[in-house]
Amino acid sequence: MKIGIYVCTCGSTLSRTIDVPSIAQAALSFPDSPSVTTMDFICSENGRRQFEDHLKQEQPERVVVAACSPRDHETTFRRCMTNAGLNPYLLQMVNIREQIAWVTEDPDAATEKAIVAIRGAVNRVKLQQPLEKMQCEICPDVLVIGAGPAGMKAALALAEAGRTVTVVERLPFIGGLPVRFDELFPACECAPCLLDPLMGDLLHGEFDGTVELLTMAELAEVTGFYGAFNVTIRQRARHVSLHECIGCGACVEACPAATMNEFRNGTVERKAIDFAFAGALPSVPTLMEDTCVRSRGEECQACKDICPMGRDVIDLDQPDSILERHVGAIILATGAGLYDASLVTGMGKGVFSDVYDSCEFERMLSSTGPTDGQIITSRGTTPSSIAIIHCVGSLDPEHKPYCSGICCQYAFIFNHLISDRLPGTAITHFHRELVLPGKEAHSLAQQARHNQNTRFVRYESIHDLAVTATDDGKLAIHASGKLTTGDMVILCPPVIPSSGAGKIASILDIKRDQSGFFRELHGRTDAAQSPVRGIYLAGACQDPMDIRSAMLQGMASAGHVLAALKPGGIIDIEPITAEVDETRCSGCRLCISVCPYRAITFNHSHNASEINAILCRGCGTCVAACPAGAIKGHHFTSDQITAEIKGLLS
Amino acid sequence: MTAAQGFEPRIIGFLCTWCSYAGADQAGGSQKPYPPNLSVVRVMCSGRVDPQFILSAFANGADGVIIMACHPGDCHYKEGNCRALQRYSMLCRVLETFGIEKERIRLEYVSASEGEIFRRIVHETVSSLRGLGPLVLPD
Ligand code: FES
Repeated sequence: MKIGIYVCTCGSTLSRTIDVPSIAQAALSFPDSPSVTTMDFICSENGRRQFEDHLKQEQPERVVVAACSPRDHETTFRRCMTNAGLNPYLLQMVNIREQIAWVTEDPDAATEKAIVAIRGAVNRVKLQQPLEKMQCEICPDVLVIGAGPAGMKAALALAEAGRTVTVVERLPFIGGLPVRFDELFPACECAPCLLDPLMGDLLHGEFDGTVELLTMAELAEVTGFYGAFNVTIRQRARHVSLHECIGCGACVEACPAATMNEFRNGTVERKAIDFAFAGALPSVPTLMEDTCVRSRGEECQACKDICPMGRDVIDLDQPDSILERHVGAIILATGAGLYDASLVTGMGKGVFSDVYDSCEFERMLSSTGPTDGQIITSRGTTPSSIAIIHCVGSLDPEHKPYCSGICCQYAFIFNHLISDRLPGTAITHFHRELVLPGKEAHSLAQQARHNQNTRFVRYESIHDLAVTATDDGKLAIHASGKLTTGDMVILCPPVIPSSGAGKIASILDIKRDQSGFFRELHGRTDAAQSPVRGIYLAGACQDPMDIRSAMLQGMASAGHVLAALKPGGIIDIEPITAEVDETRCSGCRLCISVCPYRAITFNHSHNASEINAILCRGCGTCVAACPAGAIKGHHFTSDQITAEIKGLLS
Repeated sequence: MTAAQGFEPRIIGFLCTWCSYAGADQAGGSQKPYPPNLSVVRVMCSGRVDPQFILSAFANGADGVIIMACHPGDCHYKEGNCRALQRYSMLCRVLETFGIEKERIRLEYVSASEGEIFRRIVHETVSSLRGLGPLVLPD
């Protein structure tokens, strides 16, 4: 076999320590006595050309390049092989720079070590086989997880560019957190009105047919990779047809069963079949199976009987469904949640019913909330004084070390709305820092400062504060020994990732930071991309952020997808994969249990395991695990590795 | 066993390409020398290291073997290093029954930025094997 060894002197970097002529001498005694060619800077433009010319002329059957680390230039030299008409997998590199010349003091020892390493490579390369890259066409379709501001923005931008998008939303309605709010900082816009155009477009805009919205749906499994993900989605049964229901609410009236409504702070009832709240979109009720009297074995068809659109609109027995989608990219827009303020001791959350967290108070302000927008205490009275405590668990190593950057701003929206709806109400802001970045945030804060009924009390540590009850049923806020009484306390805890983030991270195998936010590729330059190719991040699942930033990041993630995932694009699939020899497979399926990529399945008709080359990443774990030696790891076969070992030791 | 005079052990190292091989390259980048006794076999993942390879190294004259892997939780292929650990523990027991000292085979975690640790491991292994002397294979 004609084997060519090419030694790069790396501009005398290597020849200073390693005696290159001795290599040529030693090679004479190697199997098949390969020829040795010395070159300078093979990786340079000139060097590559020379190398390619030499290869074309000599047409060696196998090539060994002794130079720098294969991590530096294996791809470069493989490309040279291809350019010279040779199969790139017939090349083996020997790292005589980083792992020999640079780390071996004695030149004789370095030369000897280089000779040994090259001998190992010659032994190995003889057994290497030509391999062909597989190609797979990119799927340009996209999955967006989460239908809040960021997810909706991303989905609509992609649809506008002609992409087919599947939007998966865990809840029965879209719009994320802000659709449940009333007015937004900094410009006091009505939140549902601001989101309405997006929600309208998503539900019945001109993209009908290109945007598929799946509510009450969650990611169950994902296999594949950038350009070719196979996604399994589990969708809970709504029991009411999204397409046929007109949202009249007749079924709600007729339903005999009720439970507390979680979207109205759990203080107001909802029927078993009901809307999450008035105005929730899609405007189609959901039947809660556990609340329905049928779950107790009773016979009831009241909703079905009364539906003016016919008996097929409500399907009482509708099962949950499993859906499969093929997409090229996934945008995570799973949004935010709020830190549980009851974990911050002394704040009275969960102890006193008039201590609210900011999301609960947002709901109280909202016309679709538990009190239809009225600010009233749990006893039904109008509060004459309200305390707003900032930073409840933020900037606090015991809870969350960071500042969410939005709480001060919504606290001043609260100030504005309370003063507007209940003029004369005394409001006290207990704050640590006041964070009001940007060109607009200051105006609401200014307004609060000029409000004669508003007081600011700065505290140093949350431990200086305590919320207790007075004898006459009011709340008392103790701040460093001073007492303020109030009818209501609103707590501003840190923004955290929504509760589903952990499960999604484990399904997609992506990392989260210590606070649970998805890790970005780079915090400054690439915050809309995850480190996993083809998985993008948008909105508060990546970092606490306001609606504007979430919308922008939604757009950014869509931009990334459009730039990278071009219809008709081709991705090369590395041929370094594993393959089962059916005739030797005993059917023990050990390989299936060790494969980290679910790339192996059992073919019952052949009674053997089968490896999906597209899903296989070539780690070789199954190859080493197979007790029958029936799996071949291409380019890292047992024969090749054993030959290398023998060459290194002979 | 007493060490043979001037004995230099031959060591085969199986290095996963993503962390440990990169760590060895980093050690090279800093150009601080270490003993030349280690010959590296690059594998994609430590999970690829078949116990057969280790036996074959010993059979062909190696005095010691090191498997180097990404740190637990950092394997580029999720859990190849867990498999490597399982196989390593099993193999240690088997080798001991053959009278091959367990010091002759090591599993070490080396990340891409741990060139210094890589160097230290090579030093340690070489000096421990110098102490042990050449491997005498059971009949
Ligand atoms: S890739 Fe390093 S141990 Fe698996």
